[in-house]
Parts: sequence; C-alpha cells; structure tokens
Amino acid sequence: MSLLRFDNVSKRYPGGHEALSELSFELAAGEMLFVTGHSGAGKSTLLKLVHLSERATRGAVLIGGKNLAQVGRRGVPRLRRQVGVVFQDHRLLADRTVFDNVALPLVIAGTPRAEIGRRVRTVLDRLGLLERERALPQMLSSGEQQRVGIARAVVAQPPLLVADEPTGNLDPQLSAEVMALFAALPAQGTAVLVASHDLPLVKRLNKRVLVLDHGRLIDDYRPGRAA
Amino acid sequence: MNRRVRPARERPAAERRGGVGLVERLAAWRDLHLYSLVSSLGRLAQRPWASALTIGVMGVALALPLGLLLALDHLAGFAGDLREARELSLFLDVDVDEDAAAVLAERLRARADVVAVAVRTPEQGLAEFRGMTEFSGALAVLDYNPLPTVLVVSPAVGADPAQLASALEAAPEADFVQHDALWRERLGAWLAFGERLAWVVASLLGLGALLVVGNTVRLDIQGRAEEIAIVQLLGATDGFVRRPFLYLGAWYGLAAGLLAWTLVALAALALRAPLTQLADSYGGGEHLHMIDPAAATVLLLGATALGWLGAWLAAGHQLRLSRPKHAA
Repeated sequence: MSLLRFDNVSKRYPGGHEALSELSFELAAGEMLFVTGHSGAGKSTLLKLVHLSERATRGAVLIGGKNLAQVGRRGVPRLRRQVGVVFQDHRLLADRTVFDNVALPLVIAGTPRAEIGRRVRTVLDRLGLLERERALPQMLSSGEQQRVGIARAVVAQPPLLVADEPTGNLDPQLSAEVMALFAALPAQGTAVLVASHDLPLVKRLNKRVLVLDHGRLIDDYRPGRAA
Repeated sequence: MNRRVRPARERPAAERRGGVGLVERLAAWRDLHLYSLVSSLGRLAQRPWASALTIGVMGVALALPLGLLLALDHLAGFAGDLREARELSLFLDVDVDEDAAAVLAERLRARADVVAVAVRTPEQGLAEFRGMTEFSGALAVLDYNPLPTVLVVSPAVGADPAQLASALEAAPEADFVQHDALWRERLGAWLAFGERLAWVVASLLGLGALLVVGNTVRLDIQGRAEEIAIVQLLGATDGFVRRPFLYLGAWYGLAAGLLAWTLVALAALALRAPLTQLADSYGGGEHLHMIDPAAATVLLLGATALGWLGAWLAAGHQLRLSRPKHAA
C-alpha cells in the first residue's frame, strides 16, 4: 500500500484561484519524489495539503490509507507528527538552542527526557551538528540552519518528510549537500517529498519527478522507466 | 459464565493502554508540564516591565476590595456589641422614689412585649459614675445624688421597640426614654450595604483583573505567533500551545495576589496606631488584626485562578484564530 496517495485532488482558494486541479499520484514508503514546476504551479499547496495546513476542495488525500478529510480538529496534531516538515526559511525558534530546536518534535510528542537527549544527539551527529548543539540559530550559517531544520524534521523518525524549496536560499554547493542529505533518508525508511524549482539539481539526483503546471500534473518522470 | 467472558475479552485492550509504561507516560506528562512551567517563567522574565505592570495593575485591583472588606469586617465586629444590645433605658423623674419605681417595674414586667426589667437605683448609678475616673472629681463636689432611677427594659423578641418606647414615655413617672434602636438599625443597614458594595466593587475589579491578564497574555501570544505556528506544524496540540500561557497567567495571578496582600498589610500597618486609639476611646476590645492565613490562602488561590482563567480565555481566542481553515 502506498504511504501517500493523491486521488483526483483539487484545491480552490477562497478567492477562486484553483491551485491544484485533479491531481493524482502515489508515493511508496521509503521512496523519494521531487515536485517541480514554475513558481505558482501548486507545489506549496500540494505540501500544505499533506501536513493539513490546507484541506482539499475535491478529491482525497490519503496518508497510510487514512483519508485526511476524515481527520478532525483533534486529529490534526497526531497526523502532523507523522510528517516531518522542512521549510525554505528554516523556521527555527530564534531564542532556543540548536538542541532545543531539534528536540521540539519529541517534546511535543511527550517522549521521555532521557530518550530525547539520545535521539537528538544521534541526529545532530549524523548531520555534523553535534559541536553546535548549544548555539543559537542566528550564530549558524544558512547551510547549518537548514541542516538543523532537517534534523528537526527527522528526529521523530516520521514515515514521511516533506520539504518546500529547501535549497532556495543556498548556494549551489550547499544545495547539493542538503539534497544529498535528503537522498540518504529513503535508505533509512523515510519517504521524502521535495518541492523544488532547481531543475538542474533535481535532474542530477536522478529520482522520480512530478512536474506541475498551473496546478495540473503534466509529467511523472521515473528515471528507471524512462531510461 | 457469560458475565465473566466480556471483561476477560476487554482486558487485553485495557492492559495495552495502561500498560505502555504507565510510569513512563506519567513521567512524560510531568516533563510536559515542567517544560510549560519553565517556559512560562522564561516568558515572565523576558519582559520584566510588562510583567511588573500587569502584576501591579492586577494587584491594586485586588487590594482595593480586599481592604474594603477587611475594614468592614472590623467595623462590623466593633458595632456588633452595640447592635446586639436592644435594651431601652427609661429614666424616671427624680422625685420618683424606690418603691414607686419597683411598682412601675412590676407593671411593665406584666406587658407582653417586655421580657425583663432591671431597676438601677440612683446609688448604683452613682457608684458606676465613680468608677469612671473622669467623673470622680466632679462627683466629689456634689453633696447630693442628682441621678434618677433608671429602668432597663428588655423588649421581647419580635416586639416593636419604637412602639414600646412611646408606651414607656407615656407613663406618668417617666422623664424620658433612651432608645437607640433606630440608630442601630441604620448602622446595621449601612454595614450590610457596605458589604454588598465591597462585593460589587470586588466583582468589577476582579473582572478588570481578568481582562488585564487576558490582554497581557494576548499580546504575549501575538508576539509568539510564529513560534505557535511552528509548534503547531510540528504536531503540537492546543493543550501544548496553551499550557505555557496558562502557567503564565497563573504566575501573574499569584504575584498579584501576593502584591495585594502586601499592600493591604502595609495599609493596615499605617492605620494601626490611630485605629487602636480610636477603638480604645470606645472602650477598646476590637483591635486591628491582619488577614488570617485562611483568608490569605483563599486570596492567593482566587488570584491565581483569576490569572489562569484570563490566560485561558485569551489563549482559546487566539487558538481559534490560528486553526487551519477547513475548506467547504
């Protein structure tokens, strides 16, 4: 069974703008998928539907077989804990240390304190941030901040991670490094959905790519199949 | 047999739920609250002036009705003795002798609206005056007893003291009747009014305190809108978002309660000397006392609850605003 499934999903905003039109695709557990397209093509809306910042106007979004339309107000937090999120602008808490920022999803989930320390350090170590655990976000470089954002998104080991233009503010070399971090996640069992308009970089990684245009899916490129 | 089957089937589920380390879950719950507690203190310290201002306004708002109630408490205690004494004093003409007074007393005792009549002879009255040092000098000069016989009449319960007073005054032996019932009733009415007024003022100022806390917490929440949005995206429940603010409100309330208590204690300290003097001039007895521990506890708990409630209202409003929109 697919981990994430979009079934004829349309999203119309109150102003009347249709951001997504009859979008259908599936993402298997541990799979990596890029969503690309021009600015305003509906990439961000797609991600917002996944972590329930917005709800579909028509069609169904399913995560682990559960239709998100049936997730009530009280169910939203529980669903969001299954989806790690990485933002273009990191969205770290400026008054907390790197450690506290990364620990936040575990604190929210009510993880025992001893385990929080262990898991946060494991993730920080994996992302090369262990030395910086006591630093505040503004003391870090942009690339480091984004790595902290990724650490925060994966620390609770969600089955699915979504990232919205995660390399938008990074230079090409840092972008490649950050993308490599994402590319390594499926091997650890996390499915990854990355929205990016950095086509050259996406192509280099040679993964499956959805191409959106004005809210419509115009291509679902799979390297193995196309080659 | 059948009755035993169902619980047996339900048990595994119940065990599973309670069994996922009840101790661990309790520890996690405690950690969550500890986290909220610490972050609420951090928020308090982050904006010391705003916090002090809120606590100050709330403290004064609580101190005013508290002081009023305390003052009324004292006044009521002081007036209590006066209010309880319902006797009427019938002063007889000076030329009415002891026997005539006894006859009159007997006649009065027969009345339905009289419970008891005590006769106080001029000699007793003189002895009483001698006991008061201010008068002893003046009395020594007198070579005769100018005091009349006084009948102290206790009205029956339910009797109209005013009617009895006019009946007593009508007696031919009567000189005049001293009757403080009306004055006492008015005092009682004023005290009751004062107490009600204090509660009305307390309610209004309590509401004010609630709004002050609510507004401060609202500003704090608005200042943290980004942080709230982030933790909500990371899967925080409304309770998780709200909890630090509830603790914050409770801290405001507790601090304001302590401030109110301090203010009233200081005011009492400043008033103690002149009030003791005043009370002494009325025969002493009632002295200024501080807020007793039970009342202080109620005050602190009430103030804390008020702060908590204010924060709860403000946080609830902000959470409703930040909820993800449900498309129709």
